[in-house]
Amino acid sequence: MASATLLSPIEAAPPQGVAAAAPMPDVLPPVKPRKGFIGFVRRHPTMAIGGALLLLMVLVAIFAPLLGTTDPTALAPARRTREPSAMYWFGTDMLGRDVYSRVLYGARVSLIVGFSVAILASVVGLAIGMVSGYVRILDSIVMRVMDGLMSIPPILLAIALMALTRGSVQNVIIAITIAEIPRVSRLVRGVVLSLREQPYVEAAVAAGTRTPSIILRHILPNTLAPITVQATYICAAAMITEAILSFIGAGTPPTIPSWGNIMAEGRALWQVKPYIVFFPAIFLSITVLAVNLLGDGLRDALDPRMAKRL
Amino acid sequence: MALLEVENLQTHFRTPDGVNRAVDGVSFHVNAGETVAIVGESGCGKSVTSMSILRLIPEPPGKIAGAIRFQGRDLLKLSDREMRDIRGNEISMIFQEPMTSLNPVLTVGRQIGETLRLHQGLSKQQAEEKAVEMLTLVGIPEPRRRVREYPHQLSGGMRQRVMIAIALACNPKLLIADEPTTALDVTIQAQILELMKDLKHRVGAAIVLITHDLGVVAEVAERVIVMYAGRKVEEAAVGPLFNDPKHPYTQGLLGSMPKLGSSLHGDEGRLAEIPGLVPSLKKKIDGCVFAGRCPKVTDLCRQVAPALEEKAPGHVAACHYAIKEGAIAA
Amino acid sequence: MFAYVIRRVLATIPVMALVALFVFSLLYLAPGDPAAVIAGDQATPQDVERIRASLGLDRPYLVRFGSWVWGILNGDMGVSIFTNLPVTTMIAQRIEPTLSLMILTLILAVTIAVPMGVVAAWKQGTLIDRAVMGFAVLGFSVPVFVVGYLLAYVFALELDWLPVQGYTALSKGFLPWLENLVLPAVALGGVYIALIARITRATMLEVLQQDYIRTARAKGAGQGSILFLHALKNAAVPIVTVIGIGIALLIGGAVVTESVFAIPGLGRLTVDAILRRDYPVIQGVVLLFSFVYVLVNLIIDLAYTLFDPRIRY
Repeated sequence: MASATLLSPIEAAPPQGVAAAAPMPDVLPPVKPRKGFIGFVRRHPTMAIGGALLLLMVLVAIFAPLLGTTDPTALAPARRTREPSAMYWFGTDMLGRDVYSRVLYGARVSLIVGFSVAILASVVGLAIGMVSGYVRILDSIVMRVMDGLMSIPPILLAIALMALTRGSVQNVIIAITIAEIPRVSRLVRGVVLSLREQPYVEAAVAAGTRTPSIILRHILPNTLAPITVQATYICAAAMITEAILSFIGAGTPPTIPSWGNIMAEGRALWQVKPYIVFFPAIFLSITVLAVNLLGDGLRDALDPRMAKRL
Repeated sequence: MALLEVENLQTHFRTPDGVNRAVDGVSFHVNAGETVAIVGESGCGKSVTSMSILRLIPEPPGKIAGAIRFQGRDLLKLSDREMRDIRGNEISMIFQEPMTSLNPVLTVGRQIGETLRLHQGLSKQQAEEKAVEMLTLVGIPEPRRRVREYPHQLSGGMRQRVMIAIALACNPKLLIADEPTTALDVTIQAQILELMKDLKHRVGAAIVLITHDLGVVAEVAERVIVMYAGRKVEEAAVGPLFNDPKHPYTQGLLGSMPKLGSSLHGDEGRLAEIPGLVPSLKKKIDGCVFAGRCPKVTDLCRQVAPALEEKAPGHVAACHYAIKEGAIAA
Repeated sequence: MFAYVIRRVLATIPVMALVALFVFSLLYLAPGDPAAVIAGDQATPQDVERIRASLGLDRPYLVRFGSWVWGILNGDMGVSIFTNLPVTTMIAQRIEPTLSLMILTLILAVTIAVPMGVVAAWKQGTLIDRAVMGFAVLGFSVPVFVVGYLLAYVFALELDWLPVQGYTALSKGFLPWLENLVLPAVALGGVYIALIARITRATMLEVLQQDYIRTARAKGAGQGSILFLHALKNAAVPIVTVIGIGIALLIGGAVVTESVFAIPGLGRLTVDAILRRDYPVIQGVVLLFSFVYVLVNLIIDLAYTLFDPRIRY
């Protein structure tokens, strides 16, 4: 019987006349998936580079006193506007202050403002977005207010707020935070509304799970990823806004060295002594770049779907 | 000479975790005017095969190797320019999703006319006239109005008719239809199949029909190619394939198809299923690709990949244990 | 359609009213006596009184808001504390340079950024794509005044191709006008180009994966027609939306750019007003910019139907 042959197990010897298919060649070179640290850097180069640069800046800010700096506020009219040299690495400004020391200490203001605004705006935005996404009655009112706030360009809003207060790092943080809150709230609200329609959340509601525990277990964890990504972008935007505010004289008070201040002070002389503006500009750009790269990397890692898009 | 000869077609994709050998050594031919069906489960490489013929695979990350001879010319050796002259003109294609395969922001007339303007150099007016003609041909009522409409104003069946109009506008010699009826309602499916059969006779095009629906195959195809895991495992004329499938995979496919009038109760009426899943194509498979799911698997199957052999005249299969007709089974 | 336009226009009224309320209330959000804050540290009690009177701070809040809004509706934004000129007059004097700068930047940015994003999407993963994306990250990271100084240093000071600073009115000729605005427009456009190029690339990547693009290829359509006819038209709505939202960046950036390039526009007016705490002027400028921003986005919303026949009102 044919079927008997077909089903009988063959041990060692193949049936007569076995025709083996010719193996097909490789068309593409084989791919080796990489693991470990090297693999992480290869897969997320932007996050690795951004993270490393940012870490470097944080270390610079913390250890500024140990990095060959002098008192960044010490005036020395005798040695004004010296060009960069072995003595004054980045030169000195109009009042004879050491630009190198000022730039290194200036990292502190930028980083403090960037991180504080990112955290504050995220926390407040999260709260407003959650309430708005969950409490129907408040939603339309809160969102109209946010629409109104969002209709004022953020830098302009921060400027207008600063115009009223005395310049201080704390006020700068508050002003920029207020300008950034509407965007976070909108983001969180959008995520909350879409999550509430997810089958597993509806199932939890149907099963009688209490609202606080649904928020804690389902909604909050899912908003964290987009909020983290958003927070890095807010951090970058806040650093730039701080510099802009200080640059036009409505930000950090001149007694505290910040990159925006140093540039503002170098403004009058920039055509003859461009280095005073140049060095803080480079530091600011690199720091913001680091945060942006970190944000791009985080977005790629946390949200593969979105990563493909942007 | 056959109209289309595909020889050792390999289409591979580079992915972060390995090379996906989506199609790995497929050969077949299509004669002028003939209807050939390619069947298999999803993920077996049917669609990739059809896309490879028109070189619609993005390279990179994809890579096509082998030879695809159309009227004697190897399509893989043509320039992009020469390839564009063939697409939509001598070989055209119909896709599975009529809802998404038409451009939502262009009018139906413009989309039909585009082919004509590209390949026949018609003016805008001539192209619109011809588009109206094509819409009439594929049985769309009020073609003069429809030609100015956008795809979202048409039903699914009508959109597939528009796709067919686009595909046939330049009288192609070969039409590749990738699951043309899958997304449609059953009644519309029958209409579209009828239309394709009818137009095939009128235009005289050969058809390569990609489908997982064996009912459709029985209705329209003359010859059938069964694919599994990126390889051809069996090929025969429709009759012999349905009556005497040689490969265990084909047997499984046919067994999983309900027969009209059969009872769903009792063991006899039970639909057979093929256990397991199509293997990952990112690893090189030693032995027979179907070994993991085959009810008749032996150690030989796991070690030696079976070659395609003629088991009966015009009937090839890749299985060590498929009986060759005329061979003595003692 | 007409009814929809009316409804959309009416819907912006509450938003505008809210903006007006914010702008008006900003003065009272600050801790302490607003008159004293505006007067500054060296002010005499008489100065504070004078400011209090000129702002009408002695009247109830809602009455003041009402009369302020009434004034604005009648084209009266109050009087500058510093120059005693009507705010509307000061704005009218300064509007041309700012409008010129922003329109030039807008045109420049859109014509550069959209093709950039399209090509990056087409050549996804290649060196060109990486270059565009790298440029975009840089655009987001290097602040506008840094770009401004860099451009001015290289093209004005070192190469001497273009003027370092200043503004020439359009009435004095197109070329002098353009010469003065090129560098500021490029500096201001950086972030905007980055934003538009990025959204264009992202949307195009999504559109290029759609089935209808495959259909177009299968028809034998050329690369140019696929990118710019079949794909870009489908990608238009998100791109245009971001162009509208991005105007906020232009407005914020203009304030700084005008300072760097000494352009006597609304941005400079804002900075000067802040340094002098000239609150009526700040209110006027912020309100004007916000209204323009809301209006532009309203127009863009209404224009969607031009790009996508599926959108019907």
